Amino acid sequence: MTTGPQSILSEDDYLRCIRCGQCLAVCPTYRLTLNETDSPRARVALLRAVREGLLERPTDWTAAQFFRCLLCGVCTFTCPSGVTVDRVLELTRGEMAHLGLLPQPLAALNQRIRESHNISAEPPESRLFWAQNLPGMPTGVGKRQAEVVYFVGCVGALFPRSYSIPQSFVQILEGAGVDYAVLGAEEWCCGYPLAINGDLEAARAAMRHNLEAIRATGARTLVTTCPSCFHFWKHSYPAALEEDLGFEVRHATEFLADLLESGRVSLRDDLPQQIVTYHDPCDLGRKSGVFEAPRRILRAIPGVTLVEMAENQGGSHCCGGGGNLESMDPALSQAVAARRIRQATETGAQVVVSACQQCERTLFNAARAERLRLRVKDIAEIVLEAMRR
Amino acid sequence: MSDSAWIDRLREILGPTKVLTSIEDRIAYSYDGTFAQQLPDVAVLPESTEEVAAVVRIAAEYRVPVVPRGMASGLAAASVPFSGGIALSLTRMNRILELDEVNRTVRVEAGVITADLQAYVEARDLFYPPDPSSNKHSTIGGNIACNAGGPRCLKYGVTGDYVMGLTVVLPDGRILQTGGKAIKNVVGYDLTSLFIGSEGTLGVITEALLKLIARPRSVRTALAEFPSLDDASRTVNSVLAAGIVPATLELMDETAIACIEAAMHLGLPLDVEAMLIIETDGSDDEAVRREMEVVERVCRENGARKVMVAQDEKERAQLWRARRSVSPSLARKAPNKLGEDITVPRSAIPEAIRRIKEISARHGLPIVIFGHAGDGNLHPNILFDKRDPAQWEKVEVMAGEIFGVALDLGGTLSGEHGVGVLKRPYMERAMGPVSIDIQRCIKEALDPLNIMNPGKVLP
Repeated sequence: MTTGPQSILSEDDYLRCIRCGQCLAVCPTYRLTLNETDSPRARVALLRAVREGLLERPTDWTAAQFFRCLLCGVCTFTCPSGVTVDRVLELTRGEMAHLGLLPQPLAALNQRIRESHNISAEPPESRLFWAQNLPGMPTGVGKRQAEVVYFVGCVGALFPRSYSIPQSFVQILEGAGVDYAVLGAEEWCCGYPLAINGDLEAARAAMRHNLEAIRATGARTLVTTCPSCFHFWKHSYPAALEEDLGFEVRHATEFLADLLESGRVSLRDDLPQQIVTYHDPCDLGRKSGVFEAPRRILRAIPGVTLVEMAENQGGSHCCGGGGNLESMDPALSQAVAARRIRQATETGAQVVVSACQQCERTLFNAARAERLRLRVKDIAEIVLEAMRR
Repeated sequence: MSDSAWIDRLREILGPTKVLTSIEDRIAYSYDGTFAQQLPDVAVLPESTEEVAAVVRIAAEYRVPVVPRGMASGLAAASVPFSGGIALSLTRMNRILELDEVNRTVRVEAGVITADLQAYVEARDLFYPPDPSSNKHSTIGGNIACNAGGPRCLKYGVTGDYVMGLTVVLPDGRILQTGGKAIKNVVGYDLTSLFIGSEGTLGVITEALLKLIARPRSVRTALAEFPSLDDASRTVNSVLAAGIVPATLELMDETAIACIEAAMHLGLPLDVEAMLIIETDGSDDEAVRREMEVVERVCRENGARKVMVAQDEKERAQLWRARRSVSPSLARKAPNKLGEDITVPRSAIPEAIRRIKEISARHGLPIVIFGHAGDGNLHPNILFDKRDPAQWEKVEVMAGEIFGVALDLGGTLSGEHGVGVLKRPYMERAMGPVSIDIQRCIKEALDPLNIMNPGKVLP
């Protein structure tokens, strides 16, 4: 994903597709519906048809095809001729939005973010509710200057179901004595949903606001638990704002791996034996190249045996929660999640760990729907459980 | 289109969700693995032989073309619906119906993905050898309809060698069963063979009974680098003359190597003219190892600069991933490619390669050469930009000349991709008038209305 001003769709982006069909073998939506229309190859062909006039007047239905994609990018990873399908589709979604063809749920999402600066139209102060039922108020709350800013992200901050991720993460930070701050009401949506849904201007405003808020803390490091915020901060902020951020952007897994390896966090040795598999979030693994840090963390936890799913790392299978597919076709999104959770059970694991609030939620729901005895955890949760306190 | 009476009939029989008529869906079903494209009027997604038969009966009643397709990875435009009509997708018929471990057969629906079948039988220590490079994105039905090959054909034979019986929906909607589990069967004409490689022109293959063999327990794979392409092509025959039948013997020229390297960054050498990938396999680890030693020696004697034997499954998988990516990775060099599929007697490989290189030099467009050199099957790919009419004109001339090379040297137009529409103009020259006449009679006898994939294969 590069949502900079220079990212314009070019002819070469889709002419590169030679229609070999290799992407069909890996695409989560195609593999479920077995309908070519739901394949990366068809989405690129459709885009080309719109560009070349074979399809003269795109309709809502045309646009819907581009939004029935998880943007997981496994097709891009697989494509031997170098079509960056996920990027091409993000740009195409933007074009559809400019034609007034943004699907209603996503138009409403954009509207909410523009007005409330978060994805669920909550008042800004709600961003700290997660901090209220901890033993004590986290030291990072209300701090104006800090070495590290923890960017909580909308889902972790505002969805009670996901509160335990920021809760676990800050408790680890506290335990390790990290000088950190959270922005609370001053944190806005990172802008990623706006950018992929065609409102680059609002995305840029959000980016500018967040950047200034973080600079004001003097932080040298920004850390996120959300892989999408991470990816957007790391790649799209500098490109879209055309400047150096002036601080380092890290994902929680990278940060935690350092805390463990430098001894600032130490782990108990009385932990039970457990078989764990790790689910690579698309935005963290395939799109940002962070594969090893989470695995190093898991291998470091006493009693953990780490096993891999058949599709892992670059070739990992999406959790079903990507690309806003959930709001377009919830049944398809759930079916993708069900397939992934079955891959996890095939490893014989008792726990599947991810490093993304969205993956954690979709996989948890899938495990429940499939009636599987498989626990689903975020990596911050499993580290906190294992931490010597 | 949606107001046509026959489309309403399709909806009545299949239900609305299996009949796709939107322009978006029709675009999705308008192409295959070539640059050809034509919209069907409708795409259908039947889920049983009976549903396929019902579709074909309606097509016959209304004289509408039916174009069967699997995952549309074909390289001859055989599944592109040039006359419109019904794009009939078999992808949802993807059940493995019966594994018979005693008779070593498996019965599958046409839409089973070849690699899925292979994984399924290999988990039970059995083996389905045909391995088209598209095995992860092509179906058994498509493989049979095009009699697909692959690297392992050198030792194990092509798809057709593993088909023991078929269920076929005929152009009038009747359901034909051919063959069976008995190994020997000489009763009547061999109708199974008739449908193998028929590219959907005689009927719709909906199920297949396939032969399995024991899974080879031991495999060794080597990569040999040759500073000279000519040396590499001579090595192919020297290896075979040494009494060894490798499972595969694959050749890639320098452009192919460069394209893979650009796509995959494997550290392949960019200063050699060719590489061979050679694999030996069998039930006895020691014998396989000895064979590989002979292969290494023969390669070095014929001018190989380096022979690297894969040390583990990961290295081996990487070599094959590289080989399977050659064809698509060529898109990095030029917007379009025309991938040919000629075969020659293997003694003629060095000469065929020399002549193809000469064609490339004379017309000034690059031709990449790779392929299954061990069985004489080469894939010369002409790289070009279709937007430039002068280049396209040259490409057509060059393709004709490449076919000329194959025929002059005692070979033919296609080893595994099939004819589709792209090779139709050369059919008569390759097969002669008598053969073409007989084939026309067969087509007319089975499909008098000419609704079954019309305009394909026969000139």
